[in-house]
Amino acid sequence: MSKDIFVFIERKDGAVRKVSFELLSKAKEIAGNISSDSYAILVGHNIKETADELKAYADKIIVVDKEILQEYRWDTYTQAMEYLVKKYNPKMVFGASTATGKDLFPRLAARLEMPIVSDAIGIDFEGQEMKIKKPLYGGKVISWVTFSGGKNTFVTFRPNTFSIEKKMLNGEIIEETMDVQKDTRINVLGIHKANIKKIDLQEADFIICGGRGMKGPENFQDLEEIAGIMGGRAGASRAVVDAKWRDYDDQVGKSGKTVSPKLYIGCGISGALHHTMGMDTSKVIVAINKDPNAPIFQYADYGIVDDIFTILPVLREGLKKAKEEL
Amino acid sequence: MKILVFIKQVADTEARILIKSDKTSLEIENKYNMNFFDEFAVEEAIKIKEKSKETLVAVCTYGPKRAIEALRTAIAMGVDQAFLLDNNSLNGDDPLITAKILAGFAKQGGFDFILCGRQAIDDESSNIGAMVAEFLGIPHVSSIMKLDIIDEKKALVESEIEGGRETIEVQLPALFTVQKGMNEPRVPLITGVMKAMKANIPLIDPYSLGLTREMIDTCAAKTNVLYYETPQDRPPVRIIEGNTPEEKVKALITILKEEAKVL
Repeated sequence: MSKDIFVFIERKDGAVRKVSFELLSKAKEIAGNISSDSYAILVGHNIKETADELKAYADKIIVVDKEILQEYRWDTYTQAMEYLVKKYNPKMVFGASTATGKDLFPRLAARLEMPIVSDAIGIDFEGQEMKIKKPLYGGKVISWVTFSGGKNTFVTFRPNTFSIEKKMLNGEIIEETMDVQKDTRINVLGIHKANIKKIDLQEADFIICGGRGMKGPENFQDLEEIAGIMGGRAGASRAVVDAKWRDYDDQVGKSGKTVSPKLYIGCGISGALHHTMGMDTSKVIVAINKDPNAPIFQYADYGIVDDIFTILPVLREGLKKAKEEL
Repeated sequence: MKILVFIKQVADTEARILIKSDKTSLEIENKYNMNFFDEFAVEEAIKIKEKSKETLVAVCTYGPKRAIEALRTAIAMGVDQAFLLDNNSLNGDDPLITAKILAGFAKQGGFDFILCGRQAIDDESSNIGAMVAEFLGIPHVSSIMKLDIIDEKKALVESEIEGGRETIEVQLPALFTVQKGMNEPRVPLITGVMKAMKANIPLIDPYSLGLTREMIDTCAAKTNVLYYETPQDRPPVRIIEGNTPEEKVKALITILKEEAKVL
């Protein structure tokens, strides 16, 4: 087994996702500490420009360019990854804890019988070996996990776990190819894409969430506007999604999405455990609620006790000005 | 047709959880439920059974003896059979090993397709579905929102993907992980609860499933908990004071800029 670290690159509408740059930055840092190489693993079709873009972030870029790999599918991508992991024998393979990562990595880990830690939020050295930080029970407990059995290992990390550092490397591009067959037992009949313009909730640096205190679906327009100004995303609590004011795709919380943006603002959210478990790894939490006893204030760094509808217009203008000054 | 449903018993979100002094084990308050996402899988299987009388629904879990309670909930909802794959003789909690045992059970009992929740709410790993499918050599589809069984050989599913949905035709046998919103899980009727209390739930030894100790214990490559720790507490909230909304917002933005440095 080599000491190298692989990062599986995810793309969205052709562009490399932010989380992949985060993982490449961490992989390079670790590789630098153990005198090994970081690898960006780029699988797809017509991806030459993307490969060039990755040169600054990784020691080596493995490119697998095949028509059959145009769209992500577990059947084809598992074969490509299996081939590469067997050939290069990396110490670790990093991926993102996204819909794609959660679909691909367990299948791949099972095929190679390699241990996996999913949905991690950190990694560190434990002597010569690595230990992985993983939250349990909605963040009530943190576990540090190691591997046994002396095999290569897989880890998927939550988006926004690491910061991006452009290292100005000049990574070497390696082209690879292998035999890839489609699994004929699955046949995609149609893809319906919605919300294409929206930033992925889990990847957003800024999230402004509305709860029942928003009073009705029409008032979420205010949050959408603020999210737009900040280049972030509007989210919602479970109560709001259950009341069908917002789509399930917007739900932050235990049965929705777990998020860790740089700045989270909760508006008219009481702070049920269900919700806070999905956002308490955010870097900075601001709560706005007219009830000073709302539980959300126990999780917040900063709070404003006031009527949400008098605060929101002022907040929108304030944030707009702050953005313009940058 | 036979539908197999995998469930997990998980600690209630409100349960108190303490780290024991050895730092490698947890003390969990005795409040457990069926995993939130698995309820949708159980409900979907029962709905299919109600439409076609020839269908048998079996539910199983790999876990400790207390997990029998989650199986009883599934029986109360309306499944036909329940099995506990007893983890007493095995140490640790590794997804590869759990998946191997569940796949071993599925292979022995047979099935047309398998349903399970898209992830467990205690570890949020979402490993088991795709892993079991791989060990069984069958296709899987993650996070489905809609399932139509065309005939015994084919299903049409709608699944959630990044920023949308896709429609997929899948040859059976297959495994599907279920997303929230697929259906409305029923609350068991009292007659169901009575039936569940009396139901005989067989305990199955994982080693009776054609798996050796080397495969699922001693020689298996797996993950181990080094230690547990409590998350860092946030300092108490700072309430931003001011006489008007303008003053409060102004003060907040200054803090976010200069102190928190997130603007």
